[in-house]
Amino acid sequence: MKRFAFLVGVVLAVGVSLAGTALAAEGPIKVGIVLPLTGEQAQFGEIERNSFQMAVEEINKAGGVNGRTIELLIEDDTGKPDVGRSAVEKLISRDQVPVLTGGYSSSVAYAICAVAQQRQVPFVVTTGSADKITEQGWDYVFRLCQPVSEYPKALNSFLGEVVKPKTVAILYENTLFGQSGAKDFAKECEEAGMKVLLKEGYEHGAIDFKPLLIKVKAAKPDFLYMISYVMDAALLMRQSKELDLSPKLFVGGGAGFTLPEFAKNAGEAAENVFTAALWSELVPYPGAKAYYEKYVEKFKTPTEYHGAEAYASMYVVADALKRAKELTPKGIREALVTTDMMTAFGPVKFIAYGKKKQQNSLPTYLMQWQKGVLETVWPKNVATKPYVYPTPAWTK
Amino acid sequence: MKQYSGAILLLAVMLVFPLAVQDAYYQHLMILVLLWVAIGSGWNLISGYAGQVLFGAAAFFGVGAYTAALLSHKLGISAWWGLPLGAVITFALALPFGWVCFRLRGPYFALATLALNEIFRHIATIWESLTEGMVGILVMQTFVSKVPYYYIALGIAVASVLTVEIVVRSRWGYYFVSIREDQDAAESLGIDTLRYKSVALCLSSCMIGLAGALYTNYMGFIDPRVVFSLHDVSIAAILVGIIGGVGTVSGPAVGAFIMVAVMEIFRSGGFGFLGKLSSATGSPFVATLTKYISEAHVLSFGLLVIFVILYLPNGVVGDWPILKKKLLFWRRQATV
Amino acid sequence: MEVFLQTLVAGILKGGLYALIGLGMTLIMGVMGIINLAHGQLMMIAMYVTYVLFHYMGVDPYYALIVSMPSLFVLGMLIQRFLLNPLMKVEAILPENQVLMTVGIGMVLTEVIRFIFSSNYLSAQTSYSSEVRFVGGISISYPLSIAFVVATVLTLALFWFLIKTDLGRSIRAVSQDPEAAELMGINAERIKIITMGLGSALVAAAGTLLLPIYYLYPDIGGPFTRRAFVITILGGLGSTVGAIFGGVTLGLAEAFGSTYIGMEFEEMIGLVIFLLVLLFLPGGFKRLTKV
Repeated sequence: MKRFAFLVGVVLAVGVSLAGTALAAEGPIKVGIVLPLTGEQAQFGEIERNSFQMAVEEINKAGGVNGRTIELLIEDDTGKPDVGRSAVEKLISRDQVPVLTGGYSSSVAYAICAVAQQRQVPFVVTTGSADKITEQGWDYVFRLCQPVSEYPKALNSFLGEVVKPKTVAILYENTLFGQSGAKDFAKECEEAGMKVLLKEGYEHGAIDFKPLLIKVKAAKPDFLYMISYVMDAALLMRQSKELDLSPKLFVGGGAGFTLPEFAKNAGEAAENVFTAALWSELVPYPGAKAYYEKYVEKFKTPTEYHGAEAYASMYVVADALKRAKELTPKGIREALVTTDMMTAFGPVKFIAYGKKKQQNSLPTYLMQWQKGVLETVWPKNVATKPYVYPTPAWTK
Repeated sequence: MKQYSGAILLLAVMLVFPLAVQDAYYQHLMILVLLWVAIGSGWNLISGYAGQVLFGAAAFFGVGAYTAALLSHKLGISAWWGLPLGAVITFALALPFGWVCFRLRGPYFALATLALNEIFRHIATIWESLTEGMVGILVMQTFVSKVPYYYIALGIAVASVLTVEIVVRSRWGYYFVSIREDQDAAESLGIDTLRYKSVALCLSSCMIGLAGALYTNYMGFIDPRVVFSLHDVSIAAILVGIIGGVGTVSGPAVGAFIMVAVMEIFRSGGFGFLGKLSSATGSPFVATLTKYISEAHVLSFGLLVIFVILYLPNGVVGDWPILKKKLLFWRRQATV
Repeated sequence: MEVFLQTLVAGILKGGLYALIGLGMTLIMGVMGIINLAHGQLMMIAMYVTYVLFHYMGVDPYYALIVSMPSLFVLGMLIQRFLLNPLMKVEAILPENQVLMTVGIGMVLTEVIRFIFSSNYLSAQTSYSSEVRFVGGISISYPLSIAFVVATVLTLALFWFLIKTDLGRSIRAVSQDPEAAELMGINAERIKIITMGLGSALVAAAGTLLLPIYYLYPDIGGPFTRRAFVITILGGLGSTVGAIFGGVTLGLAEAFGSTYIGMEFEEMIGLVIFLLVLLFLPGGFKRLTKV
């Protein structure tokens, strides 16, 4: 027991000495980033990390922030809220970063937000899309991406103007993203006078969706809306085809349905599937296409909207650092409030609307898989291809 | 008194810790350690002493956590009331839980608790009107500083360890051990095994439930995947017990410290040391190594478990004499 | 009616695959009394073996059985020889140490795979992955039907092996009474090594057959481990025919539960059945049929 006490003492001593290494006033400006670099979400954490690093290299090459360079301190949240919290505690108290960004999954981002608000360090949420993140009245939390309830904005106008459906079935995965997205979408559908015939969740990782899909088939909805992660999305579409389930249109609620792996895994079953989307390299923002090409050249793999969000977040943070009167969390927060700039992800301005505060408001798009390419089809003024509707039935 | 001198010294160190170490990050890590001491002690009482291996600690942890969260979310009462109430509710839950599972023995009991753990997680996910489902519940923290949380966690951890110490020295403790060693023999000696197994489970569940309620208050956010996690709570509780030492009072404390330290060292790449090294040397080799090491935190833990089960089956505390001998042996060899 | 029939077909076909997963587990649990909580992880390894063969060498997943089953046989034997058998000699407070050991093994297997392949989703899309036959409006999946046939064939083969061969008889002897078997000149340790290898090879077959219709990532093992022990408890320990019944029952329960209660209850239904069987029908179907 004594030895154990001694051991604790030693560890504490080491801890104290490590803690003593505070940062010097000059030198690079530190920006703290929390991303899932291991665990199930690591694939997207990696894309975001690469994008953050790419942006920072560009910014530093172009002279940095008022002569000082930016240094990224990237911590792994492993996709878990408590670990994310450990990581952000470390960034704030040990590394004393004046500003935070990142935050991939909604639950992790949410946990980080609470810490950021409490410790009064501004946090620019990159990807976490649960609505409530910006609905708490937190003044140190900013969000760049669209909240999940707004994902189907473009879809709703398309439905209203073109499809005019009467009935809908909604399937969703039991995650924060799925459950809250499905609830909001069902409410909107009912307000628009549609009848929700079926609204059902499932656990990620199911092998056989046929029992669920056969119910959809029996209910005969005008269209099927699905909020799913990429592999479940592919299975849902493949098994719909296997069951010969053909509503007027299949719509994905973003996330899994926008990723290249979806098309690869669903094969022919992906054809003509619509999906709500936040970004593609074909959106009409300056730098969007350039970002995509540069990323592909540098990392030899394609990037997608998560990467664009990260890339844009970095520029937003750098812009705030440039304009901040003093490089303290408070000064940077004040600079972020007055952000008004264009990024590869779209215009960024943190405004208050509805219940939300310091939320960036961006349009969303409706895209469709056509011959293995995700084409923007709505709104019409930015469409890259005309939409294919009504969806042809499965050919046998 | 002498046998407690180490423990008292340790307690003194723990009491002054937040005053000596102002760094919120280390305070946070120590709070996690203390939380795991409580969970590990709870697991150890039912599994290590009474011999009923609990694979579903997360069921109690989650119920404790949700009690606290729902009090503040639904009733607008401070989530701190979740501590006493969470203990009461987990206690009330442990009785039927035990009634269901204690008909089974050995590994079947373990499997049944594992199944109950998963059933609870599913219920919490599906019952959206009560639990908000995977959207989770946010509770604003009461304190900005970590120090109050630290002392509350310390209080719970010390209470848990003391409870185990007192119980195992009492008559109950002997009943527990006799059930573990041979349930039929215990039964034939007139020990009401079901009753004493239930007593052990109820005490254990209270400790774990308290830890859960504290988790809600401290973390401020819970969802079913986090608090009912089979992997991150139930199995982690077992690992804390095994590594520290099954059936020893101080084992869970040692196990909790080792687990949090190992996880955090790997996750942060040796507290950022490796990251600094790689950016200082600019060597791609060190950078890749850093990446691999930070990815290896679960792997290292799995290997540690295998090693401990094979070579230190009674944990670091239980096999401390063996460990000490081996370490000394190595040191002697090194000097030769 | 269509809904009912389609659910029935889906449940039975999925049940065939489950049976194969449970078959290995029932052998391991029956002979060694070990609850192998790394069972799903072994299946995951087999799926990665299949994936590598398919992706880098263009081997059809069905031919990959020839490689995946023997390699998992070897892996299972190594695990038993070097990690589980030595535990018999270790003095420990808890006899459940073996179960806990398999948890550790499962963690290591998962993380090693994550190290090599990262967490990315992988899949092996074949020309027949989505192929179906329509029989009277009911869609029948081609790859799942094949899995069902293979499961039946392997079960029968295993049944024959256990009844008719010397090795099979030795395995049964060890499962009934290891000490008596030892006295009869059977090397129980060796038998356990072989049994673990066999169990692993069987779950490898399940993994390989599952890959074309499913996908793959390192954490896939957990849910299948859970299903495996549910099936085994349902069917009865050590009962090969029981595993088929257990697998199909679980498949049907999941399918009908998904259709008539809700898809989100899918996993829960299996777990509830598991608890009910443990409490009210210990011994599973084996006790009812005496097979």
